[in-house]
Amino acid sequence: MAREVVITGMSLITSLGLTIEENWKSIINGKSGVKRITLFDPTNCATQIAAQVPDEFEALSKIWIKKRAASQMTRVTRMCMTAAKMAVANSGMNFDDTDRSKCGVIMGVVNTGNSSVEKNTTTQNTVFKSMTNAMPAWLSMEYQLTGPNFAVNTACASSAYAISLGYQMIKSGQSDVMIVGGADSIINPEEIRGFNALYALSVANDPPEQASKPFSKDRDGFVIGEGAGTIILESKEHALARKAHIHCEMAGCSITSEGYNIMAPMNDGEGMAFSIRKALENSGIQKEEVGYINAHGTSTELNDRFETMAIKKEFGELAYHIPISSSKSMLGHTIGAAGAIEAIITILALENGILPPTINYRIPDPDLDLDYIPNQSRKKEINVALSNSFGFGGHNAIIVLKK
Amino acid sequence: MAKITESIRNEVREVVYGFFAEECEVDISRINDKTSIIKDLDGDSLMFLELIEIFKKKYDLDIELKVIGKYAVKHPVATIGQLIEMQLLIIEHENKLLELDK
Repeated sequence: MAREVVITGMSLITSLGLTIEENWKSIINGKSGVKRITLFDPTNCATQIAAQVPDEFEALSKIWIKKRAASQMTRVTRMCMTAAKMAVANSGMNFDDTDRSKCGVIMGVVNTGNSSVEKNTTTQNTVFKSMTNAMPAWLSMEYQLTGPNFAVNTACASSAYAISLGYQMIKSGQSDVMIVGGADSIINPEEIRGFNALYALSVANDPPEQASKPFSKDRDGFVIGEGAGTIILESKEHALARKAHIHCEMAGCSITSEGYNIMAPMNDGEGMAFSIRKALENSGIQKEEVGYINAHGTSTELNDRFETMAIKKEFGELAYHIPISSSKSMLGHTIGAAGAIEAIITILALENGILPPTINYRIPDPDLDLDYIPNQSRKKEINVALSNSFGFGGHNAIIVLKK
Repeated sequence: MAKITESIRNEVREVVYGFFAEECEVDISRINDKTSIIKDLDGDSLMFLELIEIFKKKYDLDIELKVIGKYAVKHPVATIGQLIEMQLLIIEHENKLLELDK
């Protein structure tokens, strides 16, 4: 009988808070974490807003990371480390009671955040701060884990890839426990100017909290967010043996490539639809079972249009009856961390029977006519949900979660 | 070449103890010459390099890292006391450190 994979721990660090509880409360109340940038003076950037992690993170990270190790990590790596340790605590896992060779770490890492806004970088720590494998490496050292340990970079789908690969490690029997997720921040002048040059970012700076408006006709680009999300994946057998709390089951996933364009999704959402189809096939889930989709929903013209088309292509008439929302309307686009953060929000929706809203949905776009859960969360018991992630370069990942 | 006086010896010990207490977040009273850098303090090899930089500046030493590296391969350091002795040899012999093995 095939091994089942369950989720036994999770944690969130975002602009809306440093705990699962804080985040969930703000999300279901439709709060925005977007503000004017304070990490540096953004006056000379066209985009001057972002969803920054609160300053209180510094105090929290000191609780979880020793000073010596922290001095060799960037702020983003510390976000990863802090979130991961909170997720392990949430899972109740004691690695002394587990075969460490069957435990591993996979993190979605686009970059480590060793940019011009990073503080205290020296010639002696710059290599450690820049190594894109630093996040999983620090975690394996923390818990002396000897199973698979690596970082994966598939742009905005990175941490969804990390979750998918962790799932496959457990499914195949190679691992019993996988710490998966990601952390990211590109809130620095270089990246903002780069994305501004691609016309990918919103420049609706005032008021900041209304700038990210996925699926709304007046959407004008994504808003950068930052943060970390970690999930503890475990074989069901292993979780039951240690009487762990099971948040939900990971029923399947897909990781696909569009092989098309470095920035734009395939026309008419063909590639996205293919990814959804493969995820449903992989998980053995029927279309009728899907009760909610946490969309990639970046608030860019093309993504939101093509993602809507992809959902219609794959679900047909059913698409009009599946509630869809974009967490990026509140948290901005957390890039490499987005897949994990949004998968966790999807798990919370399954657990709590509340679907998070798409805030700032003001003007319906005639071509985008699905149920985007506009502006207010909705009570609804669901059994199956999808979390979509699509990255620059055509990297797509869909996570299928089941109660 | 500096002659190691009691004053230099005490100064080096004070810097090393203080460095490990600060970096490893332990009370300085918990550190003695027999303390294991890895097992007792959860330290790392980079700390050795950082201390060399501190002493290079403090005593204006003419010493190349590759010389220290070659010497350290033959004379591994595990405890605080061994590390202090190594630092004193570096201060005393600088780039002629390897001649000690001849």
